[in-house]
Amino acid sequence: MNKKKEKRIFIFICTAPALILFAIFMIVPTVEVFRMSLYKWGGFTNEKVFVGLNNFKILWNDMNFFRSLQNSIVLIVIVTLITMVIAILFATLLTREKLKGNSFFRVIFYIPNILSIVVIAGIFSAVYDPTTGLLNNMLALFNLENLQKMWLGDQKIAIYSIGGALVWQAIGYYMVMYMSSIASIPESFYEASALEGAGRVRQFFSITLPLIWNNIRTTLTFFIISTINLSFLLVQAMTGGGPDGSTEVFLSYMYKQAYTNSSYGYGMAIGVVIFLFSFLLSAIISHITKREVLEY
Amino acid sequence: MKLKKKLWLTGMTALLSFSLIACQSNETAKVDESGSGKDSGEKQTLHVAALESAYGKDMWTKVIDAYEAANPNVDVELTVDKNLEDVISPNMKAGNYPDVVLLATGRKLALTETLIKDQALEDITDVLDMNVYGEDVKVKDKLVPGFTDTLATNPYNDGKMYLSPMFYSPTGLFYNAGLLKEKGWELPKTWDEMWALGDQAKAEGISLFTYPTTGYFDAFMYSLLLEAGGPDFYNKAMTYEDGIWESPEATQVFEIIGKLAKYTAPTTVANANDKDYTKNQQLILDNKALFMPNGTWVVGEMGEAPRADGFEWGMTALPAIEDNGARYAFTFFEQLWIPSAAKNKQTAKEFITYVYSDEAAGIFAESGAIQPIEGISEKLSGDSKLFYSIYDSGAKAGMGGFAATEAVEGVSMADTLFGTIDSIVSGDKKVKDWQKSVEKVSDQMRAALK
Repeated sequence: MNKKKEKRIFIFICTAPALILFAIFMIVPTVEVFRMSLYKWGGFTNEKVFVGLNNFKILWNDMNFFRSLQNSIVLIVIVTLITMVIAILFATLLTREKLKGNSFFRVIFYIPNILSIVVIAGIFSAVYDPTTGLLNNMLALFNLENLQKMWLGDQKIAIYSIGGALVWQAIGYYMVMYMSSIASIPESFYEASALEGAGRVRQFFSITLPLIWNNIRTTLTFFIISTINLSFLLVQAMTGGGPDGSTEVFLSYMYKQAYTNSSYGYGMAIGVVIFLFSFLLSAIISHITKREVLEY
Repeated sequence: MKLKKKLWLTGMTALLSFSLIACQSNETAKVDESGSGKDSGEKQTLHVAALESAYGKDMWTKVIDAYEAANPNVDVELTVDKNLEDVISPNMKAGNYPDVVLLATGRKLALTETLIKDQALEDITDVLDMNVYGEDVKVKDKLVPGFTDTLATNPYNDGKMYLSPMFYSPTGLFYNAGLLKEKGWELPKTWDEMWALGDQAKAEGISLFTYPTTGYFDAFMYSLLLEAGGPDFYNKAMTYEDGIWESPEATQVFEIIGKLAKYTAPTTVANANDKDYTKNQQLILDNKALFMPNGTWVVGEMGEAPRADGFEWGMTALPAIEDNGARYAFTFFEQLWIPSAAKNKQTAKEFITYVYSDEAAGIFAESGAIQPIEGISEKLSGDSKLFYSIYDSGAKAGMGGFAATEAVEGVSMADTLFGTIDSIVSGDKKVKDWQKSVEKVSDQMRAALK
C-alpha cells in the first residue's frame, strides 16, 4: 500500500514540470482563443467588448470565409489523395524492386522537404510564370500551346497550382514514412506468395497495403494538419490570397481578419472553427479507417 | 515515516514552484532595473520607432544624433526596422509603447489602422501651435497648407489631428518617356486620347496599361474620383455617404477602370501579388506596357533592373475625364503619431516639432525623404525634381483616405474596391456587380463610422 502511494507520488513529481508547462503553454492559450472569440477587440488596447456568439453569427453569413473553407477542403482532399498514391507507389518501387540508383532517388525525393516553404514558393512562382515559366515553355515545346495557362492568374486554377506545389514538397516525407514500414514486412511473406503464384500487383494489395495500413492511418492525420498549416505559409508567400481572394485558405483568411482588418476577436472565432474542423475531420477519418491491426 | 515523506513532498513542491516563480521574477527584476537605470539620471528617455522604408535607415540615426545634440536633456532610444510592426507589437501588447511612431496607414498588418479604430492615438492638434524646436516659427506656419486637414491626419473628421504628415510623394502614371519620344506618341491629356493611344500601341504589340498589385489602385482610384466629382464628392465618398458609389460620377469612374481592364497587359493578374509585382513593373522597363500607377519610390525599387535602350522615367497626372477637365495626381504621405499609452507625451510632441526644423528636414531630404514643408521642393534635384514638380504643370493634388470606422468583421473596403479589379481584368466579375458590392460595403462601413 505504502509502496504504491510512494510510487504515485514519485510519478506525480516527475511529471509535474511537464504538466505545468503543458498547461501554461498549450491549454491556457487554447482556452484563451475560445474566450477571445467572444469579444470584439482590435488586439491592442484594453477596449474589449463582450459580444457573445455574435462573431460566429457574422461568420455564418461571411461568404469570403466559406470560399476560404472550400479552398482549404479542396487542398486537403487533392493533396492527400495525390501525395498518398504517389508516395506509396514510389515507396513500394524503391523498397521492393531492385532499381539502379535506389538511394539516389531516395535523396532526390526527400530534398523538397528540407527546403523552406518560402524557397518552394520562389521555385513555383518561377515555374508558373506565364511568359518565362518552365511549365508554359514545356507545353510550348510539345506544341501544346492551347494548354498554356496563367497558372496563378486564372481564378479557376490558381488553387490547384498551389496544390501542385504542396504535393511536390510533401511526397518525399511521406515516401520515407511508408518505406520504413514496408521495409519491416518480412521477406518470407513475399516469397511464399510468389510460390503460390501471386504477381507484384497482387502482392501489393494483399500483403503490402494491409500491413502498412496503420501507418497510412497515422499519416492521414498528418496530411490534414500539415496541409492546413503549409497551405497558409505557401499562400502567404506566393499569392497573398489573390487574385481577388481566390486562393485564400482559412488560416490566411483568419490572419487577414485578425490583423489587416483589425478584428482580432473575429479572427479568433475563425480560429475556433478551424480548431474544431481539423479536430473533427481527424477523428472521423481515424474512425472510418479503423481496421484490425495485423500482426506479423 | 509518513510524516517524513509528507515533509519531503511539500519541500519538493515548494522547490519546484519556487524555481518557476524565480524564473518569472528574474525577468521582471531585469526590466525594472533597466527602466530605473534610465530614469535615475536627469535625462528623459524618448522611445522613437520608425519604419525603414526605401529612404534607408541612416537618415533616422542622423536626425536622432542631431536632436540629442540640440536637446541634451533627452536620450532617444531609436528602433528602425523594415518590419516595424513585428518589432514593436509584442512590446505594445505587454504595455511598453514607443513614444513616437512613424508608420503609415495602408500596411498589411494595419497596426496604425487598428489603433485608429480603437481610438488609441493621442490628439496632437496642439503641436500645430507649438514652435518648431529651436526655431521661432509655429509648426502650422511651416507646413504646406492642406496637409493637416485631410482624413489621413484627422481620421475621425472632427478637426482634430491625430497623425502628423511626414514624407510625401506624388503618385501618378509612370511610363518610359524615351519610348513615347521614339514613337512620336503624345502624352494623353484626356481618357479619350488615352484609349486612342492604347489602340495605337496595341498595333505595335504594346499593352496600354499594367499595375503592380491592386493595392496600387488606391491613389489611382482617389484621383479618378476627384476628377469625376471634385473634392466635395470625394469627401462624401470617403465618409461613406449613402448612394455615393452609385452616383453618375462614381459610375463614370467604375466604367473607366472597366475599360482600362481591357487594355491591361495579359500577364498582369498572374503577377499581381506581393511576390511577383516587380515583374509587372518590369513590363514598363521592357517596353511591353505603357503606363502603370505608382509612386516615386519605384525608381529606387527598380534601380538595378535591366531596361530597354533609351529608357527614361516619366510621370504624369491621370488624364482628365473631359477636355480641359481637372487632372489629379494623388499625394501619398507617411504619418507620425503618438500612442495614447505613451509615457512621455510632452517630450514626444516636442520631438514632432523638431522633425520639421530646417536641420531635420535637410537630413531627411538628403536621403530623398521630402516633408510637406514650404519651399522644400526647390532644393530637389534630378528625378525627384521632375516628380515633385508635377503640381507645377497644372495637376491638382489629392490627399487623404477613407474615414475611420470601427472594425467591421469580414468586410473590407480595400478588398472590395481595389482587390476586385483583378477579377475585372480577368473577366471573372462584371463592372456592374463590382459597383453594387462597393455600395453595399459602403453601407456597412457607414453604420460603423466613428
